[in-house]
Amino acid sequence: MEQFGMYLGCNIPFNAPDIEQSFRQTFPNLGVEVVDLQGATCCPAWGTAPSFDINTWLAISSRNITLAESEQVDIMTGCNSCFGILAEAKHMLDHDPGRKAQVNRLLSKADRKYSGSSEVYHVAHVLHNKIGVEKINASAKYTLRQLKVAVQPGCHLLWPSAVMKVKEKNPFFPTMLKELCHALGAETPHYSRLESCCGMGAMRSTNQERALDTLKDKLKSMKEEIDPDMIVTTCSSCYLQFDNAQKLLRDKGEIDFAIPVFYYTQLLALCQGLDPAQVAAISETPRDEIIVRIQSKQRLLN
Amino acid sequence: MQTVNLTQMDKEGIAEKVIAMGGEGLLNCVQCGACASVCPVARAGFSLYCKNLIKKLQSGYMEEILEDSSTWACQACNRCTEICPRDVKPSEVVFAFRRIQAEELAISTSAFTPLMSLYETGHAVYNKRSKELRKKVGLPETPPTSIGDPKAVAELQKILDDSPMAELGIFLNLMSRKQEK
Amino acid sequence: MSKIGVYVCHCGENIAGVVDVEDVRQYAEQLDGVTVTRRNLFMCSDPGQEMIRQDIASGLVDRVVVAACTPRTHEPIFRTTLEKAGLNKYLFEMANIRDQGSWVHAHDKYGATAKAKRIVASAVGKAANLHPLEDKFVDVTPAALVIGGGVAGIFSALELAKMGHKVYLVEKQPSIGGAMAMLDKTFPTNDCSACILTPVMVEAANHPNIELLTCSEVADVNGYIGNFNVRIRKNQTYVDWNKCTGCGACAEACPVRTANEFNGGMDHRGAAYIHFPQAVPKKAVVDMSVCINCAGRKLGTEPRISKKTGQPVLAACEKACPSGAIDRSHHLPAEGTLRDIEVGVIIVATGYQVMEKENFPEYAPDSPNVITALQMERLISATGPTGGKLLRPSDHRKPRTISFVSCVGSRDVRHHTYCSRVCCMYMIKQARLIKEKYPDIRIFMHVIDVRAPGKDFDEYYTRARDMGITFVKGKVGGMEILPADQVRVLGYDVDLGSNIEVDADMVVLASAMEQPPTAKLLARKIGLSFDGAGFFKELHPKLKPVETAVEGVFLAGCCQGPKDIPDTVSQAKGAAAAAAIPLCQGKVRIDPTISEVDTEKCSGCGICTPLCPYNAIVLKTYSGRPRAMIDITQCKGCGVCTAACPSAAILLHGYTDVQILSQIAALTRAA
Repeated sequence: MEQFGMYLGCNIPFNAPDIEQSFRQTFPNLGVEVVDLQGATCCPAWGTAPSFDINTWLAISSRNITLAESEQVDIMTGCNSCFGILAEAKHMLDHDPGRKAQVNRLLSKADRKYSGSSEVYHVAHVLHNKIGVEKINASAKYTLRQLKVAVQPGCHLLWPSAVMKVKEKNPFFPTMLKELCHALGAETPHYSRLESCCGMGAMRSTNQERALDTLKDKLKSMKEEIDPDMIVTTCSSCYLQFDNAQKLLRDKGEIDFAIPVFYYTQLLALCQGLDPAQVAAISETPRDEIIVRIQSKQRLLN
Repeated sequence: MQTVNLTQMDKEGIAEKVIAMGGEGLLNCVQCGACASVCPVARAGFSLYCKNLIKKLQSGYMEEILEDSSTWACQACNRCTEICPRDVKPSEVVFAFRRIQAEELAISTSAFTPLMSLYETGHAVYNKRSKELRKKVGLPETPPTSIGDPKAVAELQKILDDSPMAELGIFLNLMSRKQEK
Repeated sequence: MSKIGVYVCHCGENIAGVVDVEDVRQYAEQLDGVTVTRRNLFMCSDPGQEMIRQDIASGLVDRVVVAACTPRTHEPIFRTTLEKAGLNKYLFEMANIRDQGSWVHAHDKYGATAKAKRIVASAVGKAANLHPLEDKFVDVTPAALVIGGGVAGIFSALELAKMGHKVYLVEKQPSIGGAMAMLDKTFPTNDCSACILTPVMVEAANHPNIELLTCSEVADVNGYIGNFNVRIRKNQTYVDWNKCTGCGACAEACPVRTANEFNGGMDHRGAAYIHFPQAVPKKAVVDMSVCINCAGRKLGTEPRISKKTGQPVLAACEKACPSGAIDRSHHLPAEGTLRDIEVGVIIVATGYQVMEKENFPEYAPDSPNVITALQMERLISATGPTGGKLLRPSDHRKPRTISFVSCVGSRDVRHHTYCSRVCCMYMIKQARLIKEKYPDIRIFMHVIDVRAPGKDFDEYYTRARDMGITFVKGKVGGMEILPADQVRVLGYDVDLGSNIEVDADMVVLASAMEQPPTAKLLARKIGLSFDGAGFFKELHPKLKPVETAVEGVFLAGCCQGPKDIPDTVSQAKGAAAAAAIPLCQGKVRIDPTISEVDTEKCSGCGICTPLCPYNAIVLKTYSGRPRAMIDITQCKGCGVCTAACPSAAILLHGYTDVQILSQIAALTRAA
């Protein structure tokens, strides 16, 4: 079985462990063994070390990558932010030997050495390019036929394309997540704000009001243009923003609709017939109804 | 007077500083505006974002903008860097400026809690309710990360203790508490 | 003992601002063999040259060293000075103390002066050992080749033809006309492109001195100025042009529908087609890459005989042709036919291509309503796919809002760093034409800045503002696809200091002009070099703008760099004038600073022959033994053979061992 080092980050294990559970349960069904990266820390988030000192950032990131190096596996991250941080760090280290030497000096304090032998992938990359849509399709017990999905790939999976091993054909009009949803039978009609920012992260912590405006713009584009049955993302930050901040917008009376939100592997888990109480159990925007619809008899394949 | 007398602007060392902090493309910028046109921070109406930050830094502004926390709203989405026709890498200029702000402790207040949490637990984001949530979905209460791994936290703290971040004194309380232990 | 005059030039402040020229002059005074030293503000000026002439005339000087700038531009000037004073012009040596002294050591006056002295000493050392040389002359073939039948090539050909010279005008496409034939109207006068170009195309085709070779390409070029041998490949047209009347019946009958390149792929043509309605020559061709061999008429086969009628079953095209110009029974070679021609000069006028929208992922290239400006030309042209009605490609409805985006691929380090020079103006032209015809269409022009430096250009631009066309200063960074195939332009208004969006029905990309990849092949055949932007390089950017490093080969039009029609025509006429010089003189001078074999010393080993980059050396039998012989018309004096010869049998005139060793000696001795 092919192995990948599961880099969890912060939000997934602490705020959305049902996403973590969906990784642990769906990947073995696709022939991938999830290897824990024992002792992994924060990537570190953009607002922390990267905003203070480049080498401290690279030391913390490379420490995380060395966990995969010693397990002789490549990394897969579930969070776009973590992916962006680790992929950029790796790119800098691998393209600048001087920088790598400096960072390895810092890392030696933790008795570690970065070599560059492990690649950094995102869960979406592994699903799309390593596993492939055929296997995903074959693993499904339920189909999403005639369900409309608004996909949210998220920024850090798109840009800067120079640091990525797996690239979208056109990062401004991404198709990977659409294809992953098609593999489950869903429709993914185009909406105009596909590539735009959800307003999570730094923007939300700096100014919640503006971050909510940014999200509202995106939600309105989804609702008005395609009226989706659900929003599907492969970014845990986007996931939290769409789920939690959507509720905030409703509470403020800014929007009058509720669109269920899933991390892609949660949806995949549901299609594989896994237990929603484990793989899709925590949300602020209700999704029980759509879960029941997905795992209904009519949708059973064969 | 709102008029800026450019001959009286003291640009000494500003560009050099930004470049040294990682904003290497600063002087390539011709202010075409492409970065701003797709910047979520600019689109959301924050006062300082890639394009005008670059112009101000090129013009010799520093103290005047040091306290503006808008730059901390940058998501590092890097769309600007992807499309910049001059290879400025605008997001890196924004981060270089943030690093200069950080040196002066002109840090967005929202940045402190994650920093403290990072130092203490290895995670910038930590939710105390997580044990309960994890149990609910059938996972062990503690994930296999630094949160349940004192050795991992110690490794991280060794990196942080000698970093320029520690020199700012932001971890002082936490460091002394660690020593008491 | 030679009598060397050393003349030190100030070059205004260019040299004297850094180098102590008086110190250099005094230094030169004490060098061996130097009899006269002088300095002047500009040695190349009349008084400067007169100084040299008088010294020669009065017998003070029989070798001349000018310590000044580059021999590339100024050696010919001073050689003429010597010649006029009655001295062999090759008894001259230049010491470049500007490019190699003052310019590169501007911050080190002392060092620059010390270096200038060494350079002068070296030149004096060589001058003492110079020998008189004599120019040689060869006859010029009285004909010209013009490669490329766009507006540049047409005008170059016509100018030369009108002067009385025979011209071969070679064009790859079935018709001449080039990109200009695709344009609707032209700035800043709004005259119709076809109306002004078509008569000139016809004139070129009918001129008795011009032989039009369309559907043709240059396969190979050999020879040198005055005597080029060029192999032309006439591509297979599958139509007998001696019979074809250009009636278009075959094009109408052809059942194939393929994207019509002339209309930017926005409509269709048959496999049999005529390039465009005003084509010159108006002849049909069959595009075999898309032909379906209807009626089973594979090329070179006899037709089936119909059982019903007893008549042969013909393909649609041959059946339709009233003049019998298409006959598929012939096995016509796909590679076409070759023909060799001899010419004295060549003008390269191969034009440009515009970047396709697929190069710009951020600008929604998948949307049918995002088009290039060249496609827009066809959309508003009366001969275009919509007959001149502005209809957007997705649904053939009239657009209500159009955004024009400038600097797409130009001024962009990801693509081309240069400005394409014409985009601002043609965008404004298109906007004005649209606004004149449809005042209700809203037009937004997204520009970094407007570049309108030509004659009457800025007035043309200002008028566009008066007409209600909105200019937004700020480069567009992205686009989003809206329902109903609208495109949301993500922009920024520098003046408002605010993000802006335009929900556009159509977006026009002013994509960059660039050198097509085929230029590399041609460059290799001719020996042309490229500039940093990828265009053909002229010999000197200011003083030799149409000449190239290959003598006898000239440039015209956009293959040398982006330019508009007025500049293209000016350059085409300039290139014709420059190319006419050797044609009029009838003879060309062969520089004597080339290699010569001492047949007594040559052992006939043949090491030199494969090394020569110009194929100028052959082994010939001399007194019964093989000896290297150098063709003086091919030799460029590079010196490779001289250096490689194991018997030291090859002399490079002007760079003899004695001369070079004396330079080295002087350089290493000087303090």
